[in-house]
Amino acid sequence: MTEEKKGLTRKEFLKLAAVGAGVAAGSGLVAATEGLSAKGPVKWVMVIDLDRCIGCKACHVACKAEFDVRLGVFRSSVIDYEYGRYPDARRDFLPWLCNHCDNPPCVKVCPVEPVEAEFKGIKFTKKATYKRPDGPVLVDQQRCIGCGLCIMNCPYKVRFFDPAKKAGGNPAANPASKCDLCVHRLDAGLVPSCVNTCQGRARIVGNLNDLNSEVSKLMRGARVLLPEKGTKPQVYYIGEGAARINDALRKGIDIRIEANSEYQLKVWKNGPYAG
Amino acid sequence: MATREMSRRDILRIGALSALALTTMKLNRAEAKTVQGRMDSLVMGGKDVSPVTKKERKAIPTACWSCVTRCAAMGYVEDGRLMKVESNPNSIRTEGVMCSKGQSAPNEVYFPDRLLYPLKRVGPRGGGKWRRISWDEATDELAKRLKKLRDEGRPEKFFFHYGRMKGSSSKLIKSVFLKKVYGVGSYGNHTSICEGGKWTGQELTWGKHYDNWDMDNTRFVLNFGSNIFETHTNHIPVAHRLIRAMKERGVELVTFDVRLSNTAAKSTEWIPIRPGTDGAVALAMCHVIMKEGLYDREFFKFIKATKNHKASVDEKISSLKKHLSRFTPEWAEKESGVAASKIAALARKFAKTKPACVISYRGAVAHYNGAENERTIQMLAAITGNVDNPGGRCRGVGAKWKYPKPKYHVKARKLKIVDGPKKGPLHAKLPTHHVSQLVLRMIKDGSQGRPEIYLWYCYNPAYVNGENREYAEILKDEKLIPFTVTSNIVYDESSRLADMILPDATYLERWDWEDMVSPAQIPEYYIRQALVKPLGQSRDFADVVCEIANKMGLPMGFNSKEEFVRLSCEHTPKIKDLPGGGFEYMKTHGVWHDPKEKPHYYGYRKEVKEKDLKKKGVIFDEETGVYWNWKKSKAKSEEEAKKKGYRHTKKAYKGYVGQKIGDKVYKGFKPDKINKSGYFELYSDILEEKGFSPMPTYYPIPEHRRKAPDQLVLTTYKVAMHIHSRSTHRKWLAELFHDNPAWINPETASRLGIGDGDRIKVRSEVDEIVTKARVTDNIVPGIIAISYHVGRQESGRYASGRKSPFGRDDDIDLKFKWWNEYGVHPNWVIPNWVDPVSGQQRWMDTVVTVTKA
Ligand code: SF4
Ligand code: SF4
Ligand code: SF4
Repeated sequence: MTEEKKGLTRKEFLKLAAVGAGVAAGSGLVAATEGLSAKGPVKWVMVIDLDRCIGCKACHVACKAEFDVRLGVFRSSVIDYEYGRYPDARRDFLPWLCNHCDNPPCVKVCPVEPVEAEFKGIKFTKKATYKRPDGPVLVDQQRCIGCGLCIMNCPYKVRFFDPAKKAGGNPAANPASKCDLCVHRLDAGLVPSCVNTCQGRARIVGNLNDLNSEVSKLMRGARVLLPEKGTKPQVYYIGEGAARINDALRKGIDIRIEANSEYQLKVWKNGPYAG
Repeated sequence: MATREMSRRDILRIGALSALALTTMKLNRAEAKTVQGRMDSLVMGGKDVSPVTKKERKAIPTACWSCVTRCAAMGYVEDGRLMKVESNPNSIRTEGVMCSKGQSAPNEVYFPDRLLYPLKRVGPRGGGKWRRISWDEATDELAKRLKKLRDEGRPEKFFFHYGRMKGSSSKLIKSVFLKKVYGVGSYGNHTSICEGGKWTGQELTWGKHYDNWDMDNTRFVLNFGSNIFETHTNHIPVAHRLIRAMKERGVELVTFDVRLSNTAAKSTEWIPIRPGTDGAVALAMCHVIMKEGLYDREFFKFIKATKNHKASVDEKISSLKKHLSRFTPEWAEKESGVAASKIAALARKFAKTKPACVISYRGAVAHYNGAENERTIQMLAAITGNVDNPGGRCRGVGAKWKYPKPKYHVKARKLKIVDGPKKGPLHAKLPTHHVSQLVLRMIKDGSQGRPEIYLWYCYNPAYVNGENREYAEILKDEKLIPFTVTSNIVYDESSRLADMILPDATYLERWDWEDMVSPAQIPEYYIRQALVKPLGQSRDFADVVCEIANKMGLPMGFNSKEEFVRLSCEHTPKIKDLPGGGFEYMKTHGVWHDPKEKPHYYGYRKEVKEKDLKKKGVIFDEETGVYWNWKKSKAKSEEEAKKKGYRHTKKAYKGYVGQKIGDKVYKGFKPDKINKSGYFELYSDILEEKGFSPMPTYYPIPEHRRKAPDQLVLTTYKVAMHIHSRSTHRKWLAELFHDNPAWINPETASRLGIGDGDRIKVRSEVDEIVTKARVTDNIVPGIIAISYHVGRQESGRYASGRKSPFGRDDDIDLKFKWWNEYGVHPNWVIPNWVDPVSGQQRWMDTVVTVTKA
């Protein structure tokens, strides 16, 4: 979808970009040196090499197929960034999904009563949205009351109301949903569906607590989205593409962004969650 | 490596910052591969669990058919429903990855507007009224009509036109049923609206078409108009290797394109170029390479660059130098807009980086000068020795299946409507892949006869050709074509003009063996097996053909494609001996390649064995230096063959044995479709005889020369999320791409007073469309680019907003569909015209007047 259709002006769109894509001029992607720990048994993270991403959107569709995701919403998409003047025009791609933050604001605001839970012998507390000890931030749709606080408080705007489902804690509402790092696959020893299909092998998943893992080895110069929000994202971006997008944003270059969901745009623009 | 020996305690002590430092270690390539293949012992595919029940799903090997690449795949089914499709991790072609089109497979089966019942029209053709009929009624009627034509000795009045038909489908329907059993030798294809001109350019130079680009071994890639990262005939197998080469080995990719495609965007460098001028740039590069002595002298042994086939290497080199002398970079700059210095620098780089690979596609070939441009690009590969070598432009290698051939002895009859008119501006002199865009025009014209039954399959003639308005009218005219039938899964712009619709099975519900070219230069054998039962009453058209043959009393020795595939597995050497039997092995594994086989390179250098030259019927042709077996040609006697000679005997190329070079006979570059020699021909006697330049040259596009200064050139393109005309009914793809505003450069737009988002009128000599402008820096000035795929009038609610006859409402996403715009189809304003050499449709040549609407 193009912005024309949405009736958005370029300025508004840039504003959305700054929020929606999670990259604001002057901040944006910065080198990630924090948030790395060598503790814990397994810590799943994703590294995305923007040089290897060709914007094919196979990941977007594979994710739709994996979870039969409804039209209008998505767990992962790919944003096209266009900038520069002819003939030096450029386009870069930014795969976009839940950052599985180590300090997740969505979890903080979830009003559902925490309960004790255990994962592979590790005890933790669990609201309707919670962080599993091995990394993924998850939503328990059975307990979710559909209040939308997590959706509103995710600075990356990757959460949505699951349109065809009922929230277990409030059947009148739709539950929150988003990328769950394909925990059903990780638990079965499989890479996430988007990683599996990625033809560029741009998406790499692995255990950051294993220094020999591929993700650990790729961590040099890795960047994260909106580090200043203090969310400690666990989706890392590497490659010159990451530097380029960041640079363009810093310089305040006119950037054209294509999004693919009216729902997402509505959330950005009109919804109670805008800004 | 040091880290491996570090203890857990050390790691903990080092902490976060050091962990970063540790990652500076470089992996060598072998290690990188293992790591990538395992991802911390997570499996990369071939296994699947349900996100809901967490139960493991059974993996069923099959093959994608979204695009012609036909990647080996895996399907997962739950309670009889297809849940998802992924790549087959054991395929040497795909190496386990898949594109967005392949991933949308479940949509193909379950889209709510799918055709599920045989239908017959009620009321006038095109009136949109239908009644359901039984399969028996449908096949009875078809068998009766077909039998009548055959009994009356005019089977050619049955005209079969396919858009895509490959592997076993093609062999069963075309080679066996149509040609051998039914007796019709003329059928329509669609290659000339794809890249037929490219193939003709290759047949003229190195013989049998298809170029594989050896990305695993190349060190530099020069791209003339291929959008390899979004779409290609061997898309995933080649594209993923190219990304890998770029990232892991620092291979540079330089792309000439009129538009910043995703390929151009991901290239090391995008070089904007005026439409239709790629050949000029390639010629100038050859000029620089020859002039500066950067050519590969050794390869010249296999090149023909003079009339005399016995010329020495020095003579050939000087002939080529002389020919190229006028095509200077300065001249090419004037034609193409690419700076002369850039052309010269790239020529040097291409010639000096060994091996290097030059790639090309529709940006270079869908033009008036398409076949010639491809010939020039072939020349660039040849003079630098980048032909059929590791890392270069290689001759395609694919599986060679054996299949059952029933014994019928009929001489196939032909309707001469597949190659366009014999004279006039639409005449093509070497249409080696036919002129499919003119088939309906030929039917209207009628001078070569008209079919009484026109059946199209996996084809949408009213959408995929140019001048859609006229073509729909022809198809609709009952006086021109008395009976129209289609086998299709979707009610599209052409299905609505059929008299009878046969609901086809999707590729996920049918059987096939496949043979698409392997990027590893080692053939891969693979099959497609039905993942689920055909939905509703849909049936694989090939199975319908078997039934019709039986009803006509013409049994073929098999009754379904599944049986055909099984018999093929049991007949094909090596496959038949696989553990458990060929068919069982292929059903379990899906793919097979010979682990002992070495990649195929340099086949042309092999010498022909003495005994093969002494075989019965093999004679030597003085004029070309070709040894050939006249018995395989149309010659009636050895005497006639000798008198006419190799070049002028019909189908002599079929008997080609080898090329004499010096005192040796080499396998050389085996001809296909035309009687060329076994040399890599840069001097073509065939073209010379047809009145064209024997050596690669540049034909400027006449209409571009004549156009008024404020007129623009219209070009079209494809995107990563769609498959030609065949995917807008898939909701996940339509959601990503359903609208296509016309790209126009800011400078051009302001000259025409057009702003971003304005409604604009695009008028050509043949028609007019109204669309929106997208003013963007991603395109050269002076042109307008409108994507293909969308602008549908039918194809269901996701594609057009229109419900198809008998469409269902059981797809929950109909409620959540959020788009109401469906784009505009550019083909309405593009004429059906030809490259005068090959008959290639000139998609990128149309001159248009663009105004604010
Ligand atoms: S599948 Fe991979 S290459 Fe394609 S868009 Fe997604 S991340 Fe990029
Ligand atoms: S990206 Fe948003 S939804 Fe995901 S963990 Fe972070 S804050 Fe929560
Ligand atoms: S990890 Fe799974 S849920 Fe998340 S984006 Fe990838 S496919 Fe979708």
